[in-house]
Amino acid sequence: MFTRTDDRITTSQAVVFLTNTVLGAGILTMPRSVTQTTETPDSWLTIFIGGAVILPVILLLVKLSQQFPGQTVFQYAGRIAGKLPGKAICMLLVVYFLVIAGFEIRTLAEVTLFFLLEGTPMWAIVLPFIWLGAYLVGGGINSIARVNQIVFPISMLVLFVSFGVSLRLFDINNLRPVLGEGLLPVFAGLKSSILVYTGCEVILTLVAYMEHPRQAVKAMIGGITIMLAVYLVTIIVVVGGMSVDSVITSTWPTIDLIRSFEVTGFFVERLEFPLMVIWLMQMFCNFCSFFFQSSLGVSQIFNVSYQPVIYGLLPVLFLSTMAPKSLNDLFHLGDAIGMMGIGLFLLVPVLLSLIWLVRVKGLKQHV
Amino acid sequence: MLSSVIDYIPGWNVWTQAILAFLIPILASKIYKKMYAITGKGKKPDTADSKKAETLLEPSGAPFSGDYEADIQVIRDRIGGNSDLIFREIRMEKTNVRAALFYVAGMHNDRVLDLHLMEFLMFEAGSDTINEPGRIRDRLPFSCLLEASDLNSFNRSVMFGHIGLMIEGELGGLLIEYPNGANRSVQEPLSEALLRGPRLGFTEVLSENTSMLRRQGFSDQLEIKTQKVGTRLRKDLALAYIKDIVNPDLLEEVSARIGKMDFDFIAESGYVEQLIEDNYLSPFQQVQNTERPDRAIAALLEGRIAILLDGTPFVLIVPSTFSMLLQSPEDYYERWLPGSLLRMLRFLAAFLALMAPALYISFISFHPGLIPTELAMSIIETRQGVPFPSLIEVLILEVSIEILREAGIRLPKPVGPAMGIVGGLIIGDAAVQAGIVSPFLVIVVAVTAISSFSIPIYSAGLSLRLLRFVGMLFAAFLGMYGTILFFLLLCSHLTKLKSFGVPYLTPVSPFRLRDWKDLFFRAPLALMKRRPAMTKTQDDKRKS
Repeated sequence: MFTRTDDRITTSQAVVFLTNTVLGAGILTMPRSVTQTTETPDSWLTIFIGGAVILPVILLLVKLSQQFPGQTVFQYAGRIAGKLPGKAICMLLVVYFLVIAGFEIRTLAEVTLFFLLEGTPMWAIVLPFIWLGAYLVGGGINSIARVNQIVFPISMLVLFVSFGVSLRLFDINNLRPVLGEGLLPVFAGLKSSILVYTGCEVILTLVAYMEHPRQAVKAMIGGITIMLAVYLVTIIVVVGGMSVDSVITSTWPTIDLIRSFEVTGFFVERLEFPLMVIWLMQMFCNFCSFFFQSSLGVSQIFNVSYQPVIYGLLPVLFLSTMAPKSLNDLFHLGDAIGMMGIGLFLLVPVLLSLIWLVRVKGLKQHV
Repeated sequence: MLSSVIDYIPGWNVWTQAILAFLIPILASKIYKKMYAITGKGKKPDTADSKKAETLLEPSGAPFSGDYEADIQVIRDRIGGNSDLIFREIRMEKTNVRAALFYVAGMHNDRVLDLHLMEFLMFEAGSDTINEPGRIRDRLPFSCLLEASDLNSFNRSVMFGHIGLMIEGELGGLLIEYPNGANRSVQEPLSEALLRGPRLGFTEVLSENTSMLRRQGFSDQLEIKTQKVGTRLRKDLALAYIKDIVNPDLLEEVSARIGKMDFDFIAESGYVEQLIEDNYLSPFQQVQNTERPDRAIAALLEGRIAILLDGTPFVLIVPSTFSMLLQSPEDYYERWLPGSLLRMLRFLAAFLALMAPALYISFISFHPGLIPTELAMSIIETRQGVPFPSLIEVLILEVSIEILREAGIRLPKPVGPAMGIVGGLIIGDAAVQAGIVSPFLVIVVAVTAISSFSIPIYSAGLSLRLLRFVGMLFAAFLGMYGTILFFLLLCSHLTKLKSFGVPYLTPVSPFRLRDWKDLFFRAPLALMKRRPAMTKTQDDKRKS
């Protein structure tokens, strides 16, 4: 057929989708949150180990989804765990996605208010953003994946150019000593380094939309590898450029690093501006991804059509954005999201897989 | 515990905003859907309607009675009232049979008519020519000879410019000679001038246009199918494609959409474009138009379909994608390095034409700290006397530039450049002197205008001009943040847009590496071994 009617995404789109879902506000705050817990320059090791820990999680998520080709978690949870428990689990997942989406917009609004639009009311920043997201999400997963595909290379290019220019501040001594206080701080920071991967639950729905679900393992591991690389470079460059102490005290360490030098003789002297511009776009993709997941969830759990759900979720998203009262609240929320993520991981993929294993392998039931 | 939860329940103003967040998009989408339902569905009449339309435009014509006198009388009754219809009755010398010629004044070369047609009919056509009823078509020495099926179609064809011939004792009327009304000669395409490349442009005559396509090269696979469109004034429309390249599903889709067109008169190919396009609410054109046969044939070889309409030099090419708007045939005629340079230059120009005023507004009004300090100082110095906010300032100059441009098109050729000088130079300078606008803005607007002139397709330039104003509004409300939102809005819209099933942003997204050879830069011809993936052609090798 010449005109495609099915809403499937290619493998490369799936990779970018996953990467863009996870790479959101994290990159602006991650160096601080991780370094705060380790309090040594070894935070990059922590990130590395965090990636290694997250890898089996990803594999579990993919493998579980592959058992039900073409079905999202919202559809197969009921088949595994029974109707009501399945719905309850999925509702938790939806709430989780909504909270993350609100968290991302709030972070974006805070950054924008602080650096670009001082004195603008918060709603004036949040509302157009949510509406624009609704417009894009209305187009289904394909439109979102395509916008991701446009934004991702640009944002990576700008990010790495900014990092490259910031290398003039890089001092290897800031990263030394390696393991100066032993392995303990590295593992102490593990919790916060796993938190930066929150959002990879989208795999549970993403696999259902892949054109070639067999390549899902490869694609998702590819996505996680890209994220790991970006996080590693970020933390090395930021900690190396700013030293541990100033990273811990700064609110937005990545932006602060880029702000701390000027490129003379260039049209834009301070690179934090292009970086922020690009990061706004990245956050948009990020937000749209969660928005999509939650509307898809609601529509599939309650069997209502997809478009009205998008509109119905708009005020919920807005409230979830406005709920934190201060920046501190916001960062606490970020930590809470991380904890929720771990809890949900235990509840959704692990529990579901166990039940599935027991029912199929043990009781020989047909699920 | 409970009190801390209550503490986080937001105030009433947030709730109001949340309700607004819900209501405004619902309203917007309702309006959008309403508008789409009004016009968007107009092109897709359901079967009952289309049947009615069919009967309307094909009234079951009265058949020829076979009685010479009676038929002539019917014809004269129906169309004899036209003062430009010439009716001439002749007697064939050799057989002594009466015949009648009907034709419209001004449609034929009188010399051919007199010398050739009349002479033959009156003096040469003998009994051997016409004594066998029903076989007369084979015996008349005219290359163009059609038989009218009924009186109505006979009348229509005569009025359109055919010469109608009725012979006593023959059932039915004959149509000789194609209409040959006033035409202009072949000229260089006005809207798509090139330095290097053929100078030939399409004309208003369909048969000439199709022949121009044919003469691009020997092939028996170039297929041109003609059909009539329009419900009241009917016109010829031709679909041209290369049979062993084009995707059959695409062809079917295009024919179906053309078949669904329901309009009494298709005046120009722009009508066709608007009646068959996917989304009429989009600012982007989803059908490309061109005056150049070389461009059309190149598109056909990429697996696209050309739609030619009688009476216009603009040929439509479907499906079309965003990247085609910034391509010029010259990219391929020049060597690949300069071609690529020009291509990238055009992308930059398109970006400037779209975003430059918006960036100006957001930098000047919102973030002067983000541009280098000296530059910011000098701009602000020159803006000191300007009493308006930057949006009004930009609007003043942009609107006047657009008016100038519009005026320049209407003016006769000798006056046009003078107008440009008066408008551009004098008014611009005077506006700066008078302190209405800042000199830096004049530079920005001039760069914007020049950039938009460099867009190789006029209608694409129009979309950018339109969107530029939208971008300025976004920038005026939210500065750089608004400009980014505008860019994201464009991206979101473009990713949703399709042209005949082909995503508009191909090959950027969906990502098709194969087609990147011909996107931001133009790869050497030796590398372009395959046709674009987006058109899903039957045969995708360009090299054997």
